[in-house]
Amino acid sequence: MRLMIFSDIHGNLEALQSVFSDADKRNIHRSICLGDLVGYGPYPNECIELVKKRKNCRCLAGNHDVAALWETSPYGMSKSAQDAILWTMEQLSDTNKKYLQSLPDRIDLFNMTFVHANPYNPRGWRYITDRKYALRSFSATSCQYLFIGHSHKPLVITRKRFFSIDFQKVSGPQKITIKDQRRYIINCGSVGQPRDNNPDACYLVFDILSNRLEYYRVPYDSKKTAQAIRLFKLPPATGRRLLKGT
Amino acid sequence: MKIKRYCHGATPNLKQRFLFWSAFLLIGSGFIISILSFWNTRRLLMADAMTKSEVILREVEAIRSYVKEELRPKMYELQGGDTFVIEAMSTTYISTRIMKRFAESMPNYTYRRASLNPHNPDNMADPFEEEMLDWFEKDPNRLFWQGVIKKNGDSFFISIIPDYFEASCIRCHGKAEDAPKELTDRYGINGGFRFKAGDLAGINSVAIPVSDSLREAWQGSFVLFAVTLGGTLLLLWLLMLLFQRLVIERLGVMLSLVAQKGNESKTITGDELDVLQASLGSLRNYVRSARKGSSLEPNFIGNYIVNKPIAAGAMSWLYKGHTTDTGEMVSLKIGFDETMQNPLYRSCFESELHFFKTLSHPCLPKVKERVDDVLVLEEVCGRNLFHYLGNGGLENRFLLPVFAQLCDMIASFHAVGMVHHDLRPQVLILDTRQQLSLIDMGLASSDQHQDPITAAGLGPQGDLLYLAPEQIQGKRGDSRSDVYGIGLLLYLAVTGHFPFSDTRKSPRNWLRHKRQIESPRTYRPELPEALEQIMLQALSYDIDTRYQWVEDMWDELAALNKRAPEFFSMS
Repeated sequence: MRLMIFSDIHGNLEALQSVFSDADKRNIHRSICLGDLVGYGPYPNECIELVKKRKNCRCLAGNHDVAALWETSPYGMSKSAQDAILWTMEQLSDTNKKYLQSLPDRIDLFNMTFVHANPYNPRGWRYITDRKYALRSFSATSCQYLFIGHSHKPLVITRKRFFSIDFQKVSGPQKITIKDQRRYIINCGSVGQPRDNNPDACYLVFDILSNRLEYYRVPYDSKKTAQAIRLFKLPPATGRRLLKGT
Repeated sequence: MKIKRYCHGATPNLKQRFLFWSAFLLIGSGFIISILSFWNTRRLLMADAMTKSEVILREVEAIRSYVKEELRPKMYELQGGDTFVIEAMSTTYISTRIMKRFAESMPNYTYRRASLNPHNPDNMADPFEEEMLDWFEKDPNRLFWQGVIKKNGDSFFISIIPDYFEASCIRCHGKAEDAPKELTDRYGINGGFRFKAGDLAGINSVAIPVSDSLREAWQGSFVLFAVTLGGTLLLLWLLMLLFQRLVIERLGVMLSLVAQKGNESKTITGDELDVLQASLGSLRNYVRSARKGSSLEPNFIGNYIVNKPIAAGAMSWLYKGHTTDTGEMVSLKIGFDETMQNPLYRSCFESELHFFKTLSHPCLPKVKERVDDVLVLEEVCGRNLFHYLGNGGLENRFLLPVFAQLCDMIASFHAVGMVHHDLRPQVLILDTRQQLSLIDMGLASSDQHQDPITAAGLGPQGDLLYLAPEQIQGKRGDSRSDVYGIGLLLYLAVTGHFPFSDTRKSPRNWLRHKRQIESPRTYRPELPEALEQIMLQALSYDIDTRYQWVEDMWDELAALNKRAPEFFSMS
């Protein structure tokens, strides 16, 4: 069983298409999107349609998806994110709004749990980037593998002993074999807006039989997306971030 | 819908089973009665022999006592202290002589006086008597022994008592130089001396032969058994006549009523009653179908005319139908009466309709519209998988195309958090182009909706024959329960047989049977070993050792196809 996990597309159609065409070569059985299909990017409807059409693919709700439905206020976000959400609200079709409404906050699959941000307060959207919130996330679940997105930075957090946590940043494509029964929090990075100083789209494949995490980075035409951002009068800073991967 | 023709290929062995068990019980009873009779006769014989031998022994004791206490002192008084008349003063001599005369008239009764050191060599103990002397010598409190011994091929009942020297006996049995001259003259000085008062003098025994009596008891028991056997056979013959007339013939008539030609046939194991039970089950479905059909056919639901029912699911019927205007053929999913009246089952039915509307797969008939409580689906053609499986399984060349569709469909369900829980050949329709259609999801559950069956705390739902062990144990099951269902369907498709006996059992017995899977090579020895392993792993009793994902099972099947394509291309 090979499970593809990806997150934070943010309306970046070029990145999503590149990721899907790359993943199609890698014998993927199922896919799980950890949320944030929309926001920032210029193609929210197209991205939703593409994810909906993907075979055996399931999607969670992210903070931008929920904000685009006015289920949480977009005014707590940064100025560029807020402007993009207000623009996205006008663009979304009714069908796609219904689809976003139907997305769950959490999926449990045997010894795996999938959430967008964290498991203890799924709609609080707190980042898991330090020891305190990692420990709180481990306490809130009993699964062995917790898959998250949200921070746009690929990361593997290992619970070595009860209070001992190890953070392993993942830079570039990488394969990590899990050999023990320890618990892990795994951030799959971002497809449409990577922020780890690498502009290539990032996704993860979990090979369950061989217990191997495979991080892949897929280059795409980020200039084209930045151009579209300018064209649709979205905040231009977002386009510049895409080119640098910050 | 046709009644299933269960009696085709059934084993008519009710009469044989009745005969076997009746004969077993009656002959067994006769045997036990004969054994008990022999045992009782033997017990009475022994009691009789015990009484007789004890009487004789006590009589001998009385004689010896009389000689010792009355005759011998009187003789001393008359003859003087130095004279010893053996014939009138020796207890052993007198008692032996009297019993010898007694034995002349009663030859079956044997009296013996035995000692390890006798005056008279005739009284020397034989090996058995030596053992008994030892036994009495070990414990002076032992005063009596009785039992059966074999001697020269005959059985004897023997009673034995010990005899101890008193002070008056020591004159003749003490020192040889003090013994009466008459005694030493007759027997010499080698035996019968060097005793003191209180020593064990010897044993007195009476033996009564019992061989003939025991033989007669055996013969009596055998005659009793023979008579019982004869009576049993006669009784069995009469019972069989009655059973044939009163049960078998009538049962045959009932079975012939359901033995009409039908498209759905099934070979089941068991006797006529099993066949009748299965037939009545089918008949009940038929009656429900006919009742539903008669109320609906011909009938109108919205713009549709209802035709014949196609199949029954867990909560609903699937009917053929067509539109009133264009005549386009459709399938109509209509809930059972009992489903629609029960709020719990109705919510299961609503879930099923929801799944049909929201899920999309080539194996799921597309939804055209919903008219009140009826779901209008595109036309479903073909026959259910059970028809093909009942005819010896699927052809090898159809295995992968069919199971590719099935695995793909179930994987797509699992991918969206849905579990079917009720995979059976009856709910899978296969058309002539090997296109598979799933027509029922009445027991399915989704991780995004509350499951009515779990919420109501209901036990196992569905046919126990097809349920995974954990479902029979009362758990709702998860995606791995569907893997078990696919494994069972694959086994059926490959071998044409169930991996365990399919007669109706209690849940506990089902669990026991599901633990013991028959190797598929029993039915098809030419099967690739890898295919057998795939089936056995999918049918694993332990949910953790089963395939955890449908995709893993399908990957192995596909890999096997690459390794052994010739098997999957055979007709």
